Amino acid sequence: MVFNPCMKHKLVRRTVRDFAEAELGPIAHEIDREARFPWEVIEKMRPLNFFGLQVPRKYGGADIDSISYAITIEEISRVSGAVGLCITVHNSVGIYPILRFGTDEQKQLYLPKLARGEYIGAFCLTEANAGSDASGVETHAVIDGDDYIINGTKIFVTNGGVCSLPLIFAITDPDASSKNASVFIVESSMPGYSVGEIEDLCGMRANPVSSLFLEDCRVPKENLLGRPGDGTKIGLCALDTGRIGIGAQAVGIAQAAFESSVKYSKERQQFKKPISSFQTIQNMLADMATEIDAARLLVYRVCALKDAGKPFSKEAAMAKLYCSGAASRITSQAVQIHGGYGYSKEYDVERYFRDAKVTEIYEGTSEIQRMVISRTVLTEPM
Amino acid sequence: MLKMIVCMKQVPMVTELPWDTRTGTLKRELAEGMMNPACKHALEAALRLKHEHDGHITAITMGPPMAEEILHEAIAMGADRCLMLCDKKMAGADTLVTSYTLARAIEIFCPDFDLILCGCYTSDSETAQVGPQLAEELDIPVIAYAEDCTVNEETITIKRVSDNFLETLQMNMPGLITLTTQNFAPRYTPIAGLQDAFDEPNILTVSADDLGLDEEIIGLAGSPTKILEVYSPTAQKNNIVMKGAPKKIVEELLERFDDRIGSVIRKDLKVVS
Repeated sequence: MVFNPCMKHKLVRRTVRDFAEAELGPIAHEIDREARFPWEVIEKMRPLNFFGLQVPRKYGGADIDSISYAITIEEISRVSGAVGLCITVHNSVGIYPILRFGTDEQKQLYLPKLARGEYIGAFCLTEANAGSDASGVETHAVIDGDDYIINGTKIFVTNGGVCSLPLIFAITDPDASSKNASVFIVESSMPGYSVGEIEDLCGMRANPVSSLFLEDCRVPKENLLGRPGDGTKIGLCALDTGRIGIGAQAVGIAQAAFESSVKYSKERQQFKKPISSFQTIQNMLADMATEIDAARLLVYRVCALKDAGKPFSKEAAMAKLYCSGAASRITSQAVQIHGGYGYSKEYDVERYFRDAKVTEIYEGTSEIQRMVISRTVLTEPM
Repeated sequence: MLKMIVCMKQVPMVTELPWDTRTGTLKRELAEGMMNPACKHALEAALRLKHEHDGHITAITMGPPMAEEILHEAIAMGADRCLMLCDKKMAGADTLVTSYTLARAIEIFCPDFDLILCGCYTSDSETAQVGPQLAEELDIPVIAYAEDCTVNEETITIKRVSDNFLETLQMNMPGLITLTTQNFAPRYTPIAGLQDAFDEPNILTVSADDLGLDEEIIGLAGSPTKILEVYSPTAQKNNIVMKGAPKKIVEELLERFDDRIGSVIRKDLKVVS
């Protein structure tokens, strides 16, 4: 068991940090305020392989190990949670299902474009009456000649406003008792596809989260991912990998809040002393540092399991549950340490606070993570 | 083909590192290392020349095992092969012995070079001596503090600012230049490059024995320079808060600092008032 980062992981961290601080640092505050997707930075990220982090070389990806992947997401999110979100959703739930369940033709056709960032991916399960309950999907697909005709509305789609290749969950056999959904690779240029208004959200505002409308959207049969009814299997598998990214993202946001708190507490003078000299602040910083360390190690443990080809569902759920909770607690404490300034939009900590909250909600709420964990805990031998 | 060598050093990432007052050296283990900024600019200059002239780049560093990290970074950015001079006998070398050791390695492992590029100085010691001393050791011409460079067959033309004059100089190759951080902003490293740099690292580790160097003439033992004392300079800045009506404050400000303000705005404020 090795706990020290190796030379490669150190270099990955520094490389991504240098990029994120130089390119996203100066605009992170502004893109949050203006709810603007930073295309100018995305443009620079494309040739640096940020859109094909774990895609095999033959499809034009970087094919990096999972810990390097987590570090990459962590470091982007440390500067901009919203851009970290775009990258992790694209690389995990956007790409992984195609990588794992796609046909050779689907991989040849779509993976190079996704890896180059020419296409931005998205994962569309959530609907007005479906989310945590995947069986509630009402979007449906009906065969018509060589195509499927898809009708339905997806909501809260991360990357929704900018994605070119969303994976759409739709029911293909409404009469089946299990009502398993199927997954379709949909190109945004296909007829009947349209994007709703960008959501006005509390956090992650630079990510264009939106609804997607499918009105008699005609999708070729060969764009069905896996077999009809494979939706649950594909969805669960995708979410397992997605949770690694969200865990890493939460660690990055918490790290930013922590660093800001350490710096501020050394500068802020009260009672003629820096507030870092007070035990109450020291205790907060100690708890924050400990939680971040634990959170980070949980994420890296899942990565190691994934790369070793071992099952990691429970561990991914644990990492996601803990990291997101820790991020919420840490960013809240960061606001507290910053006092009135922390509550002001002038300072970044309120952004971290808003961004952290949603990590407890998307890619499976904390309640769902507990469900996943407890199911395993109750069935595994002690 | 333009055969280039880029000499680089790993430096601590933070500038305010504690000194070990006993040995007079930095407590490097307390900081993460990084490629010295000027060396990174030198590598970028070499990468652009490589692109223009079908070049080949050998990156060289001398340092502890952890310094290998910057060679991986150099490969990820586009260097072709690396030499890692790593031996406990080389530790503690001053600039003269560092230059001597680098020169011997270059003579053995890449003698047919056209151009050596170095950063003009390192952020942890700022002596700016290794580049010019290396040229002296190899008996080749050198131009220090280059800001821009172009290669034309057997010569290199560089631009630099010296005493507020912009100089354009031409030098025959093989030669050595040291680069400032004025131009050649380093490219971002692609993630795939990082992976490659660790999957297939073309790094040759070289010991003192490989270079045929006796331990008395290298490292701390061979270094004629000894650090006698290391100390932190006392703070030279202090903040002054002036209170009162604006007119009174301005008058007081001019009275106290007329010389200094005057020298900045190039006016004699005593005459003005």
